[in-house]
Amino acid sequence: MERLDVVVIGGGLVGAATAFRLAQAGASVAVVEAGYPNIGASGANAGSLHFQLERRFLENGEALADQAAQVLSLNRLAIEEWRRLDAEMGPDLHIHMRGGLMVAETADQVRTLERKVAREVEGGLDTRLIDGAEARIIAPGLSEAVTAAAYLASEGHADPKALTPAFMTRAQTAGVQLLQGARLTAVGSDAQGYRLTVRRGEADIELATRKVLIAAGAWTGRIGELFNLHLPIYPVALLMNVTERAPPMLEQLIQHVGQRLSMKQAHAGNMLIGGGWPSRMRLDATGRFDLDRSAELLTPSLAGNLGVASRIFPPVAELNLIRSWTGITAITADQTPLVGEVPQAPGVYVAAGGSAFTLGPVFARLLARLILDEREDRLSIFSPARFGHLNSFMGGRLA
Amino acid sequence: MSSSLSGASPDYDLAVIGAGPAGQAACLSLNGALRIAVIDEQARPGGQILRQPPRAFSVADWMTGRAYRGLKARLAAFEALSNVDFMGGRSVLGLREAGGAWTLTLSGPSGVEEVSARRVLIAGGCYDLAVPIPGWTLPGVMSAGGTQAFIKSQQLVPGKRLAFAGSHPLQLLVAEQALEAGGEVAVVAFIQPFSTLVWRAITRPWAALTHGAVLLSALGSAWRLFRAGVPLRFGRPALSVEGQGRVSALRLGQTERFECDAAALCFGFMPQADLPRAAGLQVTPARPGGWKTNHDEWMRASRRGAYVAGETTGVKGAEAASAEGALAGLAVALDEGLIDQDEARRRARPWRKAREAAMWFSALLEAVADPGPFSARLPDADTIICRCEDVVLADLQAALARCDEVGSVKLATRCGMGACQGRNCEHSLLSLAGEPHSERSAFTARFPARPVRIGDLAAR
Repeated sequence: MERLDVVVIGGGLVGAATAFRLAQAGASVAVVEAGYPNIGASGANAGSLHFQLERRFLENGEALADQAAQVLSLNRLAIEEWRRLDAEMGPDLHIHMRGGLMVAETADQVRTLERKVAREVEGGLDTRLIDGAEARIIAPGLSEAVTAAAYLASEGHADPKALTPAFMTRAQTAGVQLLQGARLTAVGSDAQGYRLTVRRGEADIELATRKVLIAAGAWTGRIGELFNLHLPIYPVALLMNVTERAPPMLEQLIQHVGQRLSMKQAHAGNMLIGGGWPSRMRLDATGRFDLDRSAELLTPSLAGNLGVASRIFPPVAELNLIRSWTGITAITADQTPLVGEVPQAPGVYVAAGGSAFTLGPVFARLLARLILDEREDRLSIFSPARFGHLNSFMGGRLA
Repeated sequence: MSSSLSGASPDYDLAVIGAGPAGQAACLSLNGALRIAVIDEQARPGGQILRQPPRAFSVADWMTGRAYRGLKARLAAFEALSNVDFMGGRSVLGLREAGGAWTLTLSGPSGVEEVSARRVLIAGGCYDLAVPIPGWTLPGVMSAGGTQAFIKSQQLVPGKRLAFAGSHPLQLLVAEQALEAGGEVAVVAFIQPFSTLVWRAITRPWAALTHGAVLLSALGSAWRLFRAGVPLRFGRPALSVEGQGRVSALRLGQTERFECDAAALCFGFMPQADLPRAAGLQVTPARPGGWKTNHDEWMRASRRGAYVAGETTGVKGAEAASAEGALAGLAVALDEGLIDQDEARRRARPWRKAREAAMWFSALLEAVADPGPFSARLPDADTIICRCEDVVLADLQAALARCDEVGSVKLATRCGMGACQGRNCEHSLLSLAGEPHSERSAFTARFPARPVRIGDLAAR
């Protein structure tokens, strides 16, 4: 059996894009995908390109906000990456970077915005605090309830339905082998790396590889168990809503600093409304979260999400909702992404946990360098080494 | 489940979705025993068959006046029930179960509201099967059911000169009604050969005997159309509609072209299945398309407290729907402990017989009207399949060549992502992807079952 350089577990954005970058550099790569490419959060998310600090980073105290601010360096790289992608991959990705506004209504929220903008400016992002009137000049549909906003000209959105397939098609052209409908079922290790057993239909496929990248989104923790590792990734089920197509009414990405809201008008004219409202994950027969079934819509989340959307951007209230859907994504124990090699399992890399649509393409570029043993310090703050203590008694040579 | 554990007690004992023959029969067989909410999209009860004249197929149209009178008498009895709150003019957007209660999210004249009940009966009827042919999205092209509703409710013909085409014998009746209402009928064309229609009928002699009057009325319509000089055509699978900005002709293959200013297509009907699917009830593929909800002999669906009746379990007309509704009502009474097994069985007997008889006819009609799988008669590659998102056949074939998962094709092409959420194109895509298929591999049914104004759902 010929030994591959890298097997990527997961055919989502991070997996497809990293496989492509690795193959571009000449590595032999296979992608193992349990469903089909883009079936998970990579295709089900609402396509925000958000580079400001997210509201979730700001609501759990200053210590966590400090830690989260580390992500700013990566956000700066991501802005460049998306601009490059627009040139590299063409118009089908519908990359639309016409600005983003994170709005505030109350005095408290305005103070949070002020602190946030200061943090971002310090981190090298050119966010600007503007008043409600200026926000309404930029985005005329915003309501009078908006008293201030943080404006970042490079924010926007892209098409999640197009991005992963574009990377996967290029990866396959560059020689990447895609195994879809294929589930990793067993892992062993040897002197040269890892031996993976993958079940596709009725057949078991054996793969030998030097390195492995786990890029399985919400399934990352479960895949980690096959490597005898704890990967502190927690699945979260979110709600998203889409309206009928509408005439152009919103150029920017709208977020809210004190409420769960993200809103944009996609290229086809549909308004996408989300922002992190919870859905309820179903349980499997053993009582654990069932990651293979879609989460259940929670009516209060729906009313809450559409309520804040209608209050901040009233024209949306007149549109028809055609679909509310749930999608399962993942976050880490400390909110910052988990990207890099697992110290207790040499040759096993992981990339998961938060904002992986916005950051996925840049993760892929840097990870490929890391996996190919090039010097790459920009990912070190996201290294799984920070959770090394969880794996003090884990890993080991796997028979 | 005790209501003290699940918070506030539900508003009703039973919620019935659909006030057609099935929903009415269920309420009537409960003898005024429970608090019942009946929800319907129309302002008054009756269903498609009695309220507005049928948008969808209904057996009564084929029936003698006597049977029609029976349905009307049941409607009058239903309207007199004092234990029923009729909530008309409301669409059910969502249906969910928690802690032993079902919650229905409704959209109506006063915005969005919720109603809860310990049990729910889904009897939501059916809708026209859309079969894509070249030109089917041109203005002026309607379903035969829609054309019939228009004629009956407005006493107007939609256009001066209509062309009918499809596979379902209902189009003979509608064409005759169009003539009677003063319209001109350019042609009635069937995709099947005449011999196939007749052969399918005579290979089911029992149905032909018991429903002789029905078959005669279809034949009668055909005869009267023929006498009036209307061209009848059979065995013309290559249908297309022509026109610039509006329908101007129906073309049958290369040879024949019939000028018209409206076209009615009639290929049959599919169960309304959004709510059962979104509620996680087990369904199986229906013919000629769509999904019918699984049930046991008492019309219980796969989740506790959920019952189904009428076209929801497979399209088969008003008589079978009434019988199933009555059975579902008895099942609710049985499950509530209002009646015992013996009484339920005894009272169910005549309804089971009626259902069985009606099923013979529906099996016959299904066989006669079957347009066959979409994949067996593909239109031109540039024919629109998903009309909401303008996805053409070639787009779907290209996506299927890359990955034959329906979900993947949807993501790649936007097929099924528009305002109708796949209600009209899912069956075509499934047929292209190849049979057999399961609900699990099809589109995921989601809230809302009908588009609804954002402002109506928003928390204030």
